[in-house]
Amino acid sequence: MSIEFNKVGYIYSEKTPFEYAALHDVDLKFSEGKVTAIIGATGSGKSTLVQHLNALLLPSSGKLNILNFEIVAKQKATNLKALRSHVGLVFQFPEYQLFEETILKDLCFGPKNFGATEEEAQEKAIRALKLVGLDQSYLEKSPLDLSGGQKRRVAIAGILAMDPDVLVLDEPTAGLDPQGAIAMMSLFKELNQKFGKTVLVVTHDMEHVLNYCDEVVVMKKGEVYSHTTVHEFFKDTTYLDELHILPPSVVRFRQMLNERGFHLPNDCYDMKTLCALIAKEVKNHG
Amino acid sequence: MGNFVLGKYLPYDSVIHKMDPRAKILAMLMVLVSIFLPAGYLGYAVLALVIVSTVLLAKLSLKFVWKSMKPMLFMLAFLMVINIFAVKTGYVLIAFGSFEIYSDAVFNTLYIAVRLMLMIMVTTCLTATTKPLDLTLGIEDLLKPFKKIGVPAHEIAMMISIALRFIPTLIEETERIMKAQASRGVDLQEGKLNEKIMAVLSLIVPLFVSAFQRAEDLANAMEARGYAPGQKRTRYKQLKFCFRDFVLLAGSLLLVVVIALMAFVL
Repeated sequence: MSIEFNKVGYIYSEKTPFEYAALHDVDLKFSEGKVTAIIGATGSGKSTLVQHLNALLLPSSGKLNILNFEIVAKQKATNLKALRSHVGLVFQFPEYQLFEETILKDLCFGPKNFGATEEEAQEKAIRALKLVGLDQSYLEKSPLDLSGGQKRRVAIAGILAMDPDVLVLDEPTAGLDPQGAIAMMSLFKELNQKFGKTVLVVTHDMEHVLNYCDEVVVMKKGEVYSHTTVHEFFKDTTYLDELHILPPSVVRFRQMLNERGFHLPNDCYDMKTLCALIAKEVKNHG
Repeated sequence: MGNFVLGKYLPYDSVIHKMDPRAKILAMLMVLVSIFLPAGYLGYAVLALVIVSTVLLAKLSLKFVWKSMKPMLFMLAFLMVINIFAVKTGYVLIAFGSFEIYSDAVFNTLYIAVRLMLMIMVTTCLTATTKPLDLTLGIEDLLKPFKKIGVPAHEIAMMISIALRFIPTLIEETERIMKAQASRGVDLQEGKLNEKIMAVLSLIVPLFVSAFQRAEDLANAMEARGYAPGQKRTRYKQLKFCFRDFVLLAGSLLLVVVIALMAFVL
């Protein structure tokens, strides 16, 4: 059981004037039972990478091992539906996938497609709705009448209802208010810790990377630029500076203090520890 | 869906690409007229020669043209069947007992097939070498003379350009929704009939929702910028006829005349 990319390449519109190579020889092994962030500039191949995970895109070259499934380029892949029941993929702005008359029906759609009976599906739907923080009074409402943030939650619940082992999310917090975003990320962390789900999340928010993720994969121009633990990643912010992405506030604060003469170690990642360290240094100095 | 090539613009750099859209539209109309003149085998040979060389001149591959014809193959097959049953003139070509296939049936079908193929090639030549926006500018200009009899030239052009503008967007949207539903276990290829209906529904409902949403956003955006139909406005891009456009027009006029002579005089 693992998720492994083996020299995977992907080319869009092969052999046309629009040909575009989005991935080059990607070698990557995602750690199971962890929350991994995938970051990179727009056009770096994040979304393409992510769509390989449940075989919506099939590699143009190389080999993919996902759980017990093997996908080899230029070979007809079989059993994709089974793979998709194990890997849940939430797209960017997933609210457009809602289509049923009631939220309950929409949530049941996924599980039923994968062979659940009506009762099982309903049970799963109700559980998923609770997970995303909406109560049962929503079940009979139309998903199209909800607010943007609620639609997002229902759409994500639609994937959670399928109860996949691996949860892949492409910018799940884009366009959400800060509170909603935090609630969303905490939910993914909780799913990871309580139920042992492997979570892969594409994000641009470094605070989320620091607070909710274990590992970071950096994509650059269709290649894996680095794959490290979160703490290792924020020790050196050269790459983030290159991308004009601000590091998390804690890291920035520490850097700014160090620039002005402090000698704080670069392996503290929360405000409390940082405050204690500052206090200590000030005391020693004074 | 990405293989859908009918009417797709291909950004190559060729003489045909550089020509004025108005000249290209007029030339296309003339060639279409000559395709419909009954000029016999020789006429079609001449036309095919001219059209294929135009395709090659536009740096389009014959494979691309062939691809854009594929959707028509079904229609051709259908016509063939109807012709074989309906046309009972000429001499008997093949007979299976009491069922006979007449020579005219086969020839008629062949004629239609050749005509359709040539037509698709010509129109592909136009749409693959002209940016959609240029095409609508051309249509607007060509419709201008009809304004006097109440044809809303600008509005028609605007409608066409909006429609053309949104074709790729809607195709993209469809792909996106298909993928999203595929990860929820929708399988458009396999499954029982009611599952298939559900699958199509899961595609169409979101597509309509987003199409209406887009239409509303666009209408608001246009109004916010003070768009009013019928207003006199200037253009950023000015179309200009130059020598090669006149050559194209003269060439296609000559073609019509030659084909007409072959059809009615010889």
